Amino acid sequence: MTAVLIVATAAPKQPGVLVEALERFRSKDATVTVACFFDSEELGIDPTLAEIRTFAVPAEKWDARFRKALERAPANRKIWLHARRSTWLRQQYRRADLLVALDARAVHTVWQMAQRNTRAGACYGLVPAQKALAGNRSEPVGKRLERRVAAAAGIGARGARSAAEQTIRTTLNKATGQRVMSNPAGAWLWTRAAAAPRIPDRLRSKLAVRLHDSAVRAGRTAAGARAASTAAQRISSLATRADVLTKAAKTELTLGHQPSGLHDAIRAQLALADDLLPRDTKKAAAAVSMAWSLSSNRVLHFDRLTSPMSTDPGAFVAPFRASTAARKLSQPRGRLTPAAPAPTDRPLRLLVTTLINDNFLPEILERYRAMPNVEVRFLDLYEDELTRPLALSGSTVMEHLLAGDSSYGAKVEEWLRPHLDWADTIFVDWCQATAALFTLPDPGSTRIIVRLHSFEAFNFWPHLVDFSRVDDVVFVSDHLRDLSTAVLPQLTDGPRLRVIDNAMDLQRYLRSKPADARFNLGMVGFSSVAKDPRWTIEVLRKLRERDERYRLTLIGSNFNDRASKPAKDYGRLLNQDLAELEPLGAVRRYGQTDDVPAALQEVGVIVSSSVRESFHCGLVEGAASGAVPVVRDWPFFAGKPHGARTLFPADWVVESPAEAADRIFAATATEEQWREIGQAAAEHALKTWDWSVTQSGFDRLLLDD
Amino acid sequence: MNNGRTLWDSLKLPRPRRSGARPHLVYLAIGFPPAAKSCAYRMRETANQFAAAGWDVTAVTIADEAWEREHGLDHTLSQGVDPSVRVVKLPLFRDDLETDIRSFTEQRALAHKDYLAELRKQDLKVFPEPVFGGWRPALEKALLQIHRERHVDLLVTTCAPYVNLAATWKLWETHRVPYVVDFRDGWSVDVINNGEAFFRESVSGQWETKLLTAAVAIWNVNEPISRWYRERYPELAHKMRVVRNGYDAASIPAQVRPAPPDRPLTFGYLGALTLPVPLLDAVLQGWRTARAEDPALADARFEVRGHIGTGWARGANAHAELLRAAAVDGVLVGGSVPKAEVVDLYSRWDAVVLMVTGGRYMTSGKVYEYMATGLPVVSAHEADHDASTVLSTYPLWTGAVGLDPAELTSAFRRAAAMARAADAAEREKARAEARQYAREEQLIPAVREVTELVLGAGGPTAPQSSPAGARVLAREGRS
Repeated sequence: MTAVLIVATAAPKQPGVLVEALERFRSKDATVTVACFFDSEELGIDPTLAEIRTFAVPAEKWDARFRKALERAPANRKIWLHARRSTWLRQQYRRADLLVALDARAVHTVWQMAQRNTRAGACYGLVPAQKALAGNRSEPVGKRLERRVAAAAGIGARGARSAAEQTIRTTLNKATGQRVMSNPAGAWLWTRAAAAPRIPDRLRSKLAVRLHDSAVRAGRTAAGARAASTAAQRISSLATRADVLTKAAKTELTLGHQPSGLHDAIRAQLALADDLLPRDTKKAAAAVSMAWSLSSNRVLHFDRLTSPMSTDPGAFVAPFRASTAARKLSQPRGRLTPAAPAPTDRPLRLLVTTLINDNFLPEILERYRAMPNVEVRFLDLYEDELTRPLALSGSTVMEHLLAGDSSYGAKVEEWLRPHLDWADTIFVDWCQATAALFTLPDPGSTRIIVRLHSFEAFNFWPHLVDFSRVDDVVFVSDHLRDLSTAVLPQLTDGPRLRVIDNAMDLQRYLRSKPADARFNLGMVGFSSVAKDPRWTIEVLRKLRERDERYRLTLIGSNFNDRASKPAKDYGRLLNQDLAELEPLGAVRRYGQTDDVPAALQEVGVIVSSSVRESFHCGLVEGAASGAVPVVRDWPFFAGKPHGARTLFPADWVVESPAEAADRIFAATATEEQWREIGQAAAEHALKTWDWSVTQSGFDRLLLDD
Repeated sequence: MNNGRTLWDSLKLPRPRRSGARPHLVYLAIGFPPAAKSCAYRMRETANQFAAAGWDVTAVTIADEAWEREHGLDHTLSQGVDPSVRVVKLPLFRDDLETDIRSFTEQRALAHKDYLAELRKQDLKVFPEPVFGGWRPALEKALLQIHRERHVDLLVTTCAPYVNLAATWKLWETHRVPYVVDFRDGWSVDVINNGEAFFRESVSGQWETKLLTAAVAIWNVNEPISRWYRERYPELAHKMRVVRNGYDAASIPAQVRPAPPDRPLTFGYLGALTLPVPLLDAVLQGWRTARAEDPALADARFEVRGHIGTGWARGANAHAELLRAAAVDGVLVGGSVPKAEVVDLYSRWDAVVLMVTGGRYMTSGKVYEYMATGLPVVSAHEADHDASTVLSTYPLWTGAVGLDPAELTSAFRRAAAMARAADAAEREKARAEARQYAREEQLIPAVREVTELVLGAGGPTAPQSSPAGARVLAREGRS
């Protein structure tokens, strides 16, 4: 009687076909066993047709060795590791005359079984199995013997090779691990070894990445950077060199550091891009994109209390200015006709457009929709599922810009041309993908206005915008204009630059405050590191050292610690603060609310503790509510021509938590004084930033020019 | 990757038959009998007609074992091949269809899908056609060897596979051997989705343009495909000719009578089951409802004959599962049928079901055979389909109703009524309508035309005086 063993890794999609095959096997007097790498109950096959069993080892029976072997094994080998631990299955495959893989994932397991049972046939699929069963498999003894010897030798050789490889890998891993690299002698030795001559690039790059990784994780960042950069200098291939330095930089970013070799990595990617540009724009675009991805990483700018961009913007983007490929992205292509003046014989057609975020647009849309002389349309590039992907890929835009022409560009043109044709003026909110896309085709005589808020200045998108096709760039503050022009010199030679305050309806914040609000500090928004709520907590601690009536209300969604390692670290410290202060009633998390005016009613002192803001609406709203404003001199802009000190009245701005505490003690010394200062702040806010005042800036921008 | 290079040296070509002064034609026809493929019928007839026109024909295909991996073999097909035709079988195999796990390397066993993906990638590097692209060097070498052995006067290449074009070009490039491309379903036209398969500027597009420009003649299986090519290459329009697939008279019963009232009806389908699954599902749904609703179909059977799946999935795919589940509705699955037995099949069927994918560019060869039987035909394909054009004058057709199961139910019922009611005169009228599509009727004029073009008006009776004709064509091809 012939014994057939079928191995299946998943319940077949056509169970009927399996049943039919089993019936045919039975009709040929074959005994069939089906070994399942899933719950055999799922098959639901008549047990008289075949012995059906599961061979997967249940997780609770995995020992450490098995678990480790599974971790290391490629996906399909894991199945074999399970199979060979099953005594039942071992017996089955050793006595089988025919081994059958029912699906692709079972092929390797059957292959391994066939190496151990050299007498059996081994095939993939049920029909080939039936054919094999029908065929005569009488092989000469010599051939069978030869196969047996070869298989046994193969098993031995593979085992020995695998053991040898494992030993080498373990030894190398240990020799280049954190312990060795944390030792100065070990680090020195390996750094020399990685820079030794005549090592192939492939091996040198792997070694360099490994050494860097171990050193950085062991806390010896400088040693790691030295190892990576010394090895990289020896690498002749531009691509491999860029890869090594990029991997090193990424490791440090993952750990929350500003990589010591960041600029080397950026320069290496840009050198690669410049080299590729004449012959492969797609690969060149990938390299520039990688350079930008490194330089705009959020760890550098958003999740720490400093940013290399704000310290010296010109130096930070200097490598991009030196690169031919990067320069080509911003190259002005001009427009055939200048923007036409606003029409006089019909309403102005105004298209307001954004990508997802329309938080700063409601007042603007409402005002101009109500005007008879303006026809308004709104377009969110994210809205249409079909065209959405066109707006989400920076690297594709780069590819198009480097190639000069592409089907992507044609599709963007096809998508946006009707909007460009319709509108007299397009107001693009946020200087990101929307701005890049609307300047990809020639806008014709349509006037293009782009508003840059804040984060964009740290991002790559403005570098993909063709400012020779933009008529006006609007900033929400002077210091953002300063930063942007330092990063984007092309701004100074083209569009008109304007500073117009955000559109805010502040009237609704004017509400009477209870007397005990005097001791209540408030922050609107504390979910990111940039808001630095721990600075305010420090202020609170100083206040409470002298008067425990002071407390803090945090308004908005909770701190997001999932963005990066530094955010996680910051979040951990913040949570420690909160765990200490919340039970005392010193801090209260108000949560997210749609009714911010109501939340601010109980806030007597509004604090802006941010390291970076373009304007800080939450602070101004607090001031408008009658709370005493206390503004940290935002460190990203402190000491520069413009910043918090030039945006707000001098007495609002403080240098340190101690100074903040002093201002608060002074302002809240008596209820009358607190109300008087709050009243003055509210009047200043309303007089300066309320929409009834600032709208004239928009009217001038949209209607007069 | 098995591209035949390692096996090539061991290949022994059959000795060329010497038949006096007859010109030598190489017919590159992968799928030539005994391959159990639908294209084998056209290939057999093409070779036979060229032999009849006075050519010494060498048909080049691949080894029998290679077909075993795909749809199998039908040796009865070879019986109809003109004995003067020399058949060269190259040791080329589709590695992707290998099912013997013992022949796999460990790497292939470990990551079978990755291996296949890599295989396709490598194939594409050699020629822009997955699966077959890697055969290019072996095919080129084979044609050059055949030409060295005996001068080739004409090469007729039939696609698919399209890699044949590379070998065709090689022979043209090196020895200026004129060639005909029997493009059948075309290449740049996507006959399934009714559109362009690739741009002219693509690698495939450049190959196609190059090959067609130098060709003596270009054949297609229907007018819509031929029109596609005429519009795509207007400068080559004079070379285009429609050579329909047609039917083989030997497969058609001499007479078909109405079904006797006391016997349940039998509907039939014959062909490879490579259809889209939803199409088969719609037909089976329509059949089930028709059988439940119409007393005339109460005990009726629907016999499905043909190959299901290839390689490891042979007989084990979604089609097989659907058909197995439909057994309760009188659906019988009988596997493939040798060509010689097809006539018996039609003799006992009362109506035929034309299940075919694609649209306006697709005809299928089966439609002509179905028409020639004089049996009622149930159409299960898109309404905008070239089979509809062919069937439009056939009196026993239930019409193109698309793929809606409810409409198909009505079509089955109409066919049942026709099967019982159509008398001998009506059937004869139907058969007469099909006669224009006899395979030889399609091929004889095309073969004659090419023969005259290549050998001159004197034809093969005066081959020595005609190389000038070949040279003229060669020049024309170059221009």
